[in-house]
Amino acid sequence: MTLDVLTELMSRAEGRCSYAEARHVDRRDEALAVRAGEVDEFAASAADGIGVRVRVGGGWGFAATRDVSAAGAEAALGQALAVAEAQPAGPATPLAPVQPARGHWASPYEVDPFEVSLEDKLGVLFGAEAALREGGDERVVRSVAALRAWRERKAFASTDGAACTQELVAIGAGLGAWASDGTELQVRSYPLSHGGLFAAAGWEQVLALDLAAHAPRVAWEAIELLTAPTCPEGTTTIVLDGEQLALQIHESIGHALELDRMLLFEASYAGTSWVRAEDAGSLRYGSEHLNVTADATVPGGLGSFGWDDEGVPAARYPLIEGGVLRSTLSNRESAALAGLERSGGCARADGFARQPIVRMTNVSIEPGEAGSFEDLIADTDAGLYLETNRSWSIDDRRLHFQFATEVAREIRGGRLGRLYRNASYAGVTPTFWGSLDAVCGPGEWRLWGLTNCGKGEPGQVMAVSHGAAPGRFRDVSVGVA
Amino acid sequence: MTESALELAERALGDISGETQVTVMRERSLVSRFSRSRPTQATRVEDTTVAMLRVQDGHTGSAETNDLSDEGLHDVAARADAGARAAARAAGARGEYPGLPEPEPVRAHDGYDAATAALDPGEAGAALRAAFEACAARGLEAFGIWTVGAVETAIASSAGVRASDAVTDALMKVIARSERGRTGWAADAAVASSALDPAAIAARAVAKVAEGEPVAVSPGEYPVVLEPGAVQDVLDFLGALAFNGLAHAEGRGALVGRLGTRVAAPAINLSDSTRFGRTLPRAFDMEGVPKRPIPLIQDGVAHRVVHDTRSAARAGGDARSTGHATAPGGSSFGPHPTNLVLIGGGAADERELAAPIERGLYVTRFWYVNPVHPKQTLLTGMTRDGTFLIEDGAVTRPVRDVRFTDSALRILEATEALSSAPHLVPSGDFYGRRFATGVVCPALRASGFRITGQTV
Repeated sequence: MTLDVLTELMSRAEGRCSYAEARHVDRRDEALAVRAGEVDEFAASAADGIGVRVRVGGGWGFAATRDVSAAGAEAALGQALAVAEAQPAGPATPLAPVQPARGHWASPYEVDPFEVSLEDKLGVLFGAEAALREGGDERVVRSVAALRAWRERKAFASTDGAACTQELVAIGAGLGAWASDGTELQVRSYPLSHGGLFAAAGWEQVLALDLAAHAPRVAWEAIELLTAPTCPEGTTTIVLDGEQLALQIHESIGHALELDRMLLFEASYAGTSWVRAEDAGSLRYGSEHLNVTADATVPGGLGSFGWDDEGVPAARYPLIEGGVLRSTLSNRESAALAGLERSGGCARADGFARQPIVRMTNVSIEPGEAGSFEDLIADTDAGLYLETNRSWSIDDRRLHFQFATEVAREIRGGRLGRLYRNASYAGVTPTFWGSLDAVCGPGEWRLWGLTNCGKGEPGQVMAVSHGAAPGRFRDVSVGVA
Repeated sequence: MTESALELAERALGDISGETQVTVMRERSLVSRFSRSRPTQATRVEDTTVAMLRVQDGHTGSAETNDLSDEGLHDVAARADAGARAAARAAGARGEYPGLPEPEPVRAHDGYDAATAALDPGEAGAALRAAFEACAARGLEAFGIWTVGAVETAIASSAGVRASDAVTDALMKVIARSERGRTGWAADAAVASSALDPAAIAARAVAKVAEGEPVAVSPGEYPVVLEPGAVQDVLDFLGALAFNGLAHAEGRGALVGRLGTRVAAPAINLSDSTRFGRTLPRAFDMEGVPKRPIPLIQDGVAHRVVHDTRSAARAGGDARSTGHATAPGGSSFGPHPTNLVLIGGGAADERELAAPIERGLYVTRFWYVNPVHPKQTLLTGMTRDGTFLIEDGAVTRPVRDVRFTDSALRILEATEALSSAPHLVPSGDFYGRRFATGVVCPALRASGFRITGQTV
């Protein structure tokens, strides 16, 4: 790593701006997919570069370069200063204080996925994909097993004295079957949609998913959905599986609690928030069963790190307790603007060529007291159990949402019943979370890692994890789509 | 002297034996972002990637790097080669990839502007000041971006392709916002930054900020006028759900069994035309196949889908690449039309489109649109930054943003009229490597637009 290059660059930045930071990011990605008995994708990528961010007066400038030499870093510093100085002058605002980050952090894993042979990786995928097709039903028109791994090594230095390095290794895998009878098209995925279940972990994560064992069920359910009745329209009780609840948290809690959105920094693209910065401590966000935590320290989380991309140490803190808003997700700038004593440690950047913005870490709903999933269903007289996200949309203040899931199952008399297709539900954020009346216990709680969170201009894709256990909501509008 | 993108591609191809395509993309870009009439972020990027595609017995492996040293290029070639060989061994039989495309003549275009490629931060500063002043004159705050980019793409392959292309793009988006949170949006894009008029863009955004409390509407079906900013989303998703040749070949596409039949109103003429006026031209796709105009819907009749080499092979018969590969060797997600053009109609403007509507909706743009049922082209999304009621033929009052859940093909089938002047609506997200796209389309009036909810 080029930590020395970065610290030397910071010494040269002193006096030319009020603040500067530099990140060297060396990222390696590998994606594999098998479809219909062939490798559908083998894509390996390596991206290495330096991003330099400076503050001149009230304005920011950022420049990124693939030239990681001292000369390249110096040129990027010059460009960052030039773009900052060319902007209309704005008021100089403070940054929340931070202790200089020093040291090294690495995510834990057992088996380095980049040390596993291609043959072994393809063996797992070929086996799983073949199992999707083992029934020989021609209505399965597409069957895919896929995995993806990445390693990101970062060095960071700032004019505040930070000089640290960290490394994250992550991997995930999944499978999907698409069935069509010529007019209808249905999809079924495992363990979740959006390409699979990801974690900051090693090859052991893929093996634990046991893709091949689940494949026949996945294919059969896709076929079964072709003739299943359409999800009825109405108002009813719903139970969300952990994955869909994770996405619900992501869209209607995580993004809504980003302080930069509240301060209108993201109004240009991602939008604002129905929550105000001054609501912390008083706003009722949901029922007493709603306890939500931001935790950048949890092992396996895609939003875990030693320090965020401003050198703020990882932290765990409550966002919502007993349904009441306690805090928000912030970086150094938004925290200072909102009068907070410290940053929430949520500044994250997508690779070397993007600057850090406020991002979720691992935002999770805490386990409840509803016991096991079976206990929760047994405690439910009538309603729907909704599983595996298929479609998602929410307004630019994170209020009105509409989600669809791959399957719904009727709940009648405390038991799961028939399958419905084209299931959807809709609601308004505080009303919906106010209707939460049960969350399963710790035994059902797990991290759900997502890799496709988009925000920022130019666009940045970020990976985050959400801990969730199945939860129950009353009086929800379903079948709206 | 700086090595050109094509020279770099040829160096990477070097003396590699076997079927290989090298794709070089060199990006230089500048994004200036603003909020509350203050600059907030300015991002300048310079990066070059070399992507290597190796083909082994009909199987492919790809790898890319931004390490341009000889060692870096050898390493990326080795990784692509290992992937292709492993794929071939694992399958145990010849794969379906038919081989790299043969070279074809590539036509020049006028999609590059040297002044734009200078990435002048001073020009960004002037644009932001103009937007701030236009909004301040009405007591509003400005939000948005001004951005320019210059991207060189070069392809060298063992099949003999030697092609290079240079494009520039410029985009400005302004959201004007009142203290009460009412917003208006406007955006323009062009090949040259000199074609953007920041003050005029801001003025259009300002004009959308309505005074008065927005009203509620009930779920149901409404006649609607969609501005080009909303039509763009409908067409872009249609491109993915209906015209993706891979999905079509696999029986997942919305036009399976419907090509040659009427799927839209007779006034609908949709094509992928990389040299149509106002579009962002490109010379070839990511396999080096030249871009040519492709009719997709003619007089309301579905005409064809688009292909890359991979999807064409899967489709079989006489299917050939139409020049719509979005990745070397074709993406596993399939090809995509990136230069959609919807021909305008006879209405002078949006006001004339609204004139026959007794009670309906006027939509500036959509937000967070996603497919609900791909084969039915069923979409859901919200309106944003300028939703109004149409009463007795005129745009009257602001409406609280609404959720629609409707089929893209149904909207085109129910289209009654189009405005005459098409507009380039940029996508403007710029995730990953910069690849500027936009849809050229007019405003339209359609019946039966389905509203399923409303924000509070």
